[in-house]
Amino acid sequence: MDWKLAAGLGVLLILPFFVTDSYTRHLFILAFVYAILASNWDLSLGYAGLFNFGHIAFFATGVYTAAIAAKTLGVSPMLTIPLGGATAALTALIVAAPVARLKGIYVVLVTFAFSQVLLQLILSQSHITGGAEGMVRIPALQIGDYKFIRDFKFGYYYVALGLLVLSTFYLLWLTRSPFGKSLLALRDNEEYAGARGISIMRARVLALVASAIFPGMAGSFFAIYLRVASPEVLGFGTLSLVLSMVLIGGIATITGPIFAAFAIFFATETLAGTRGMEEFRFIIVAVAMILVLRFAPGGLARILQVFQFKKNRVL
Amino acid sequence: METLLATFVSGLVLAALYALMASGLSLIWTTIGVFNFAHGALMMVGAFVAWTVSEVGGFGLWPGLIAGVATTTVLGVIIEYLLIRPFYGQRNMVLITVMTTLAAMIILEKSAQIIWGARLKQLPRMIEGDISISGAVISAHEALIVVLAPLILIALWQFTNRTPVGRSLRAVGQNQEAAALLGINVPLTFALAFGLGAALAGLTGVLLGGIRFITPSLGSEPLIKAMIVVIFGGLGSLGATVGAALVIGMAEAFLVLTLGLYWTPFAIFLGLIAVLVLRPNGLFGRS
Amino acid sequence: MSILRIEGIGGGYGSVTVLRDITLTLETGENLGLFGPNGHGKTTLLRMTSGLMRPSSGTIQFDGRDITGASPSKIVTSGLVHTQQGNTLFGDMGVAETLEMAAFTKRARAGATARLEKVYALFPRLAERRKQKTRTLSGGERQMLSIGSALMCAPRLLVLDEPTLGLSPRLKEELTEALIEISNSVPLMVVEQDVELLLAVTDRQVLVEHGEIVREITATNTPDHAEIVAMYFGAQA
Ligand SMILES: Nc1ncnc2c1ncn2[C@@H]1O[C@H](COP(=O)(O)OP(=O)(O)OP(=O)(O)O)[C@@H](O)[C@H]1O
Ligand SMILES: [Mg+2]
Repeated sequence: MDWKLAAGLGVLLILPFFVTDSYTRHLFILAFVYAILASNWDLSLGYAGLFNFGHIAFFATGVYTAAIAAKTLGVSPMLTIPLGGATAALTALIVAAPVARLKGIYVVLVTFAFSQVLLQLILSQSHITGGAEGMVRIPALQIGDYKFIRDFKFGYYYVALGLLVLSTFYLLWLTRSPFGKSLLALRDNEEYAGARGISIMRARVLALVASAIFPGMAGSFFAIYLRVASPEVLGFGTLSLVLSMVLIGGIATITGPIFAAFAIFFATETLAGTRGMEEFRFIIVAVAMILVLRFAPGGLARILQVFQFKKNRVL
Repeated sequence: METLLATFVSGLVLAALYALMASGLSLIWTTIGVFNFAHGALMMVGAFVAWTVSEVGGFGLWPGLIAGVATTTVLGVIIEYLLIRPFYGQRNMVLITVMTTLAAMIILEKSAQIIWGARLKQLPRMIEGDISISGAVISAHEALIVVLAPLILIALWQFTNRTPVGRSLRAVGQNQEAAALLGINVPLTFALAFGLGAALAGLTGVLLGGIRFITPSLGSEPLIKAMIVVIFGGLGSLGATVGAALVIGMAEAFLVLTLGLYWTPFAIFLGLIAVLVLRPNGLFGRS
Repeated sequence: MSILRIEGIGGGYGSVTVLRDITLTLETGENLGLFGPNGHGKTTLLRMTSGLMRPSSGTIQFDGRDITGASPSKIVTSGLVHTQQGNTLFGDMGVAETLEMAAFTKRARAGATARLEKVYALFPRLAERRKQKTRTLSGGERQMLSIGSALMCAPRLLVLDEPTLGLSPRLKEELTEALIEISNSVPLMVVEQDVELLLAVTDRQVLVEHGEIVREITATNTPDHAEIVAMYFGAQA
């Protein structure tokens, strides 16, 4: 692991001891969730080259899995987190069935349509999902006697950070494994990779499922933490926000989207707190996304790399 | 018998709306190979501008309609110039422009929210009153849409098949280099196609404004419907899109009758997946 | 007065240089042929001439006017018309529709009806297939449609890239005759592998090799057929 990640992790680990107000901790927790979402999306988008627009559907699957399991079925909130990962993986498997056979724009359209149909389903099955109002008062996390709602978000912070660390290790391991390499080979040259005996369909299905597990868990955590589940997570707002994190961070880098998630999330939250900026911040993010696509197609990670490269050459 | 007829009529209304929603999207796709995610947002802008001119400005519906369509046309040309043109010829152009037009959608929706606010607005109907066709009642405005849609589509077909400029749109869509070598200005044609597609979006938006509440998210559902219609038809020709609109409009009306409102979107989505898996180029597409 | 003057053209695709320093003039009233081994830059030269590609060095003048780096539509408008190698044209359009549309520029639209009749007279096979979709045409028919569309543009110089590629000997002969007839009214610049055709249709031939013009054949220094063939294969070795 490179030193920057280690340093970042070190800072994040000791942060709650210095930052004691629960609002700042709350922002960090949400940033962790977005970072998980963006970096896992990068696995299917950047590495597998699958233009999957359904990632927020996996997240939403986790959200509603936790909400229904914990509130309606009385499952322990802690257990709903792995459960959300499982249902999200299952959802990904269902989406992958048609998507693995499709190409380019069709992948975008089908995955996007899928997330919209999921939204319709959530809205229409209001007796289960709460419809447009969503579900509220989902049971909070509790381990033994330790109540997470009474510690100024200290515990939640570490649960979220733990999820992010696990997810990042998992993604880094996966992208450096032979499987990750075969995904890259497939993305860059389908025919060649196919000729080398890499099954395109299998790789795509696996990539999609593998990239859904942590977003599902993050979704479950999100629901348990906020104690609400709202269909809003499936809106264009979430989609474009997370997409901008992936693009601005730099696709096929994993760590790029994580850093971008922090930067963009805190930037938009700051703007949200500024009067008159509540709606305007989305416009700023959208413009930033366009500018990155236009002038720095590799994202900010690529810019930093180029910068480093130049530095090294001088030395 | 009477329910069947009523369902058929509501299917017809849906089909007409879907054909209008999808035609601009399809035109831009077939000419430029760009899937315009801002298409729905352009409908919304058209409706808001028409509302402002006709209700706030008090100029009446027709000037409103013209203003709405003109605004979206200009916006379409601007979107093409700023968000599409820089990416022509890039390997991932289709996918990059999905993201840039998605960004355009966000910008348009949020701007609308800032300018017009979230309060519901509605345009007056083009024609007041209801029409009863042997028991099936629809508003006169909806009847107008059913009559207007085929007229607009026929005009569009005539334009793309009979006039030199219209033909040049199709030529550019099928073979850019060969078109350029006949003297067709390809970049200009792209701008034209985008402007025309956006004009159709604006017109659809103004028509929608008479039957739905105008909000910044007015275009979300139509975008998805247009998308489903266009995929279903096979991203190919205008004819395929119209055919798909008919099939989906009718299917939706009859599914609502049999399955109920809740499961219909799901059933349509499953149908879509089945079509894509069995015929990856759409129901009316060529392989 | 020369109708086309190409001076010191160089360039290629990205970092790959295909053409190096090509200079070529086409005098009024003559037809020029280009030949040479595969992949040595003939098509690239034509693409630069018609504006589909930008040369990285050199200039191109058509009819006394500088057209270097101009857009294809501008160049067509000025009368230089290029038919591409293996052009698939517009698959979903019919034969008649394609020809009618091909008269797109203002200059071409004047007198389009008369020109359409001429094209049909030149290629009766096209006249029999007015309604047929281009994608269903045979290779030879498509080639005729391609040349026919170029004629509809009212060319003042017609640039043809391998018009007989993949055609049967009989069709080749038909096309050769058509080209000779066309050359009576329009000057031609033809890239062709079939040297017989080149000798029959054009007055002067140049050999393009490694992106350069290495040999020129004129009426006064005509080598015999065997010599040309030797040049051809020698060049490839
Ligand atoms: N789009 C392209 N990108 C990269 N290289 C290209 C491209 N098009 C052509 N080339 C290369 O440029 C060189 C010249 O190609 P060109 O088509 O001009 O040859 P040619 O003389 O017309 O050959 P032929 O007789 O086979 O038609 C070839 O090596 C070819 O591979
Ligand atoms: Mg060639």
